[in-house]
Amino acid sequence: MRTSRATAVIAGLLLLAALGAPGAMGQEKPRMGGVLTWFDYGDPGRLDVHAESPLVVQQATAGVYSGLLHYDPEEPTKVIGDLAERWSMSADGKTYTFHLRKGVKWHDGQPFSSADVKATFDRVLHPDFKSPKCGASLKPMVASVEAVDPNTVTFQLKFPAAPFLPSVASAWCRIAAKHVLAKYGDLNAPEAQIGTGPFKFKKYERGSVIEWERNPNYFLPGLPYLDGVKQFILVGGPTQLAAAKASKIMLWDAWPPMRKTQADELRRARDDVEIFQTSINTLFLIFLNSTKPPFNNPDLRRAVHLAIDRQDLVAKALEGAGVPCAILDPKLLGDFALPLDEVNKLPGCRQPKDADVAEAKRLVEKHHPGGLDIEVATRSVGNYVDRAQLVLAQLRRIGIRGTLKTHESAAGFAAFGKGDFTIIATQDRAMDVNDPSGVFHIVYTTEAGSNYGRWSDAKVDELAERALKESNRDKRKALYWELQRHILGRGDHASIAVGWVEGWFFKDKRLRNYTPGVTVYDNNTFMKVWLAQ
Amino acid sequence: MLAAAGRFALRQPLGTAGALVVLALVAVAVLAPQLAPHGPKETAFAPYLAPSAEFPMGTDQVGRDVLSRVIWGARLSLYVGLASVVVGITLGALWGVATAYFGGISDLGSQRVVDSLMALPPIILALALMAALGQSVTNVILALIILLTPTAARTVRAVALGIAAAPYIEAARAAGGSQWRIISRHLIPNCLASYIVLLTTNVSYAIVVEASLSFIGAGAPPDEPSWGGMLTAGVQAIETAPWMVFFPGLAISLAVFGLNLLGDSIRDVTDPRLRGGLG
Repeated sequence: MRTSRATAVIAGLLLLAALGAPGAMGQEKPRMGGVLTWFDYGDPGRLDVHAESPLVVQQATAGVYSGLLHYDPEEPTKVIGDLAERWSMSADGKTYTFHLRKGVKWHDGQPFSSADVKATFDRVLHPDFKSPKCGASLKPMVASVEAVDPNTVTFQLKFPAAPFLPSVASAWCRIAAKHVLAKYGDLNAPEAQIGTGPFKFKKYERGSVIEWERNPNYFLPGLPYLDGVKQFILVGGPTQLAAAKASKIMLWDAWPPMRKTQADELRRARDDVEIFQTSINTLFLIFLNSTKPPFNNPDLRRAVHLAIDRQDLVAKALEGAGVPCAILDPKLLGDFALPLDEVNKLPGCRQPKDADVAEAKRLVEKHHPGGLDIEVATRSVGNYVDRAQLVLAQLRRIGIRGTLKTHESAAGFAAFGKGDFTIIATQDRAMDVNDPSGVFHIVYTTEAGSNYGRWSDAKVDELAERALKESNRDKRKALYWELQRHILGRGDHASIAVGWVEGWFFKDKRLRNYTPGVTVYDNNTFMKVWLAQ
Repeated sequence: MLAAAGRFALRQPLGTAGALVVLALVAVAVLAPQLAPHGPKETAFAPYLAPSAEFPMGTDQVGRDVLSRVIWGARLSLYVGLASVVVGITLGALWGVATAYFGGISDLGSQRVVDSLMALPPIILALALMAALGQSVTNVILALIILLTPTAARTVRAVALGIAAAPYIEAARAAGGSQWRIISRHLIPNCLASYIVLLTTNVSYAIVVEASLSFIGAGAPPDEPSWGGMLTAGVQAIETAPWMVFFPGLAISLAVFGLNLLGDSIRDVTDPRLRGGLG
């Protein structure tokens, strides 16, 4: 893991630390009090962190829960204990034992124990329970979870797996109370938001605001510093930017990133913020539905692959802030990523596009003389509608005439999950862990949580599983290179990687002890953040 | 013809100015393929280019030529405006004439339907219809037809009620004229003036509603060159690229201004009370 750390993110963090609060962490005394104002890009609707996958669900509940492990809020690439005080691994690498903190209480006053941990992981690992984040990453690795005594839990793995600890530390693998699950059946309702985290869930006004308040009985004495966190639900770029310019929000660190023009606008409006550019460990994808016409035809999928100009999309939709074509981002995962020199010579990714577009046109004409008309779906969040228009223009060049259908955020996810689409013009997928396995288990394998195109390739599944089991770093790297070459070389799969998303973010200069997580989901608890006067 | 146009110009100078604007709008709409330097959906250029000799109205957020989209937008606006108004007002006028003539329970029932439709704020009704029908230019036209029909029905019914009670209608009935003959030969021709005024005054209304629906994301699909949709995209970058708001906004204002001036003048010319005064 250490060698695969996100160099870009680390550089961003260092820059932020240098810019942000000179000497703040070392010299300034943390101040108690104040409410941090933040925003969600959409209304989460459902709040079950185990069953949902939109970022807004994780943001809405992040400070309420704790995990067994989490990423250090002050050193975000480091996995540290959260509810687990310490842990150990057996000699064969297949058994992990977690020793839990004692005296921890749920927000409703009930005592926390290993039974809650077992109930949580039994839930997310259940074969019939759809858990697109935590479950999707752990199911391939974990055989069983046992509560040895009230303060000890063991995980039996199917094989020694390097990504196990990072996956357990994922912000989606939060521990829920057994008695809450028994009472409510799921974690969707605001009343069911009972955790052991630094903040209690205070209020959820649909479409308006989510609020947390300090948990006075948090198991880390003296924390959190903040009285609370208020998340405004701000839909649409202009609303989000207007709120930022009007000082309504103190932090913009999650999806969607600001584009350069927006960051410039904010810079002109406010001098009390630090603006920084970084990656958010998120892949911009196009999905083709491989189960129904026309994209059940590999030639048509290949045509779209060839036609999509990833460089142009990154240049225009992300204003150049991104890494086009890569399935793994070398800035984030180092040499696990296939070298960009090689990637950018492959059909579909190479420039100029003339030969690829001509071939794509030929493939479309072969099956649909005169072209074809399709419905192109997108969620109306972030700048997805703009991106979709660029995709439509690129498809038109090869005779695919698209009509844009926009979905409200949650409705879009519901439609995509059911396979109710022909093509999704744009959909970002954020990584849960900064590990090369992440993208394959989120997007590319048959059972991947976001395999919206329902594409299945036995070789991808086999290589992804072998890479997951492989503990030798060089061999693992070779497997991931083979996997990337296979997917890019086939050129007919249902998930087209357009590029890794970067962007601009800001934080209020009064905000102290804040460092962005390595994934967009991490470090959203604000447990150690404080506000200077 | 020329003499009549000259007389109209002398009597209605504002109306003439409106007519010229409308003529220009029609010419731009009809000749859009010839006039537009680029395709309205062509994203081949750099985003946010300021107005220049190459791009007189600049480029938008995805690198499309704003001038080309404004030109094609005229076609879309006029198409939506004319199609919805012609169909909606015609249906409404026929409905109004029929209910006025037959009266009784059918009039009572149909007027309650009109009341129900007119009780809803037009933009809310249009939004609800678009949510139900889905986003497309055809559905915008359908929604506008549903908005315009009851207004036309109510207006024309009021005119037709007066005509239906006139002695010559009584005489036509006494002479054994069929219902169809009385309606087609006497009622409809006498309601034509109101019908024409409704047509001319509602085109601008339809254009504004279409632009409003597109502005809030419920009208034409985002890639269609709708002036309202262009305004939405422009608002998101108003500081960076004010031309994205200015030019479509100007186009909407000019079109509505011209159509309103022309519509007002036609109303004045066809209103016998005002005609006397002007004479």
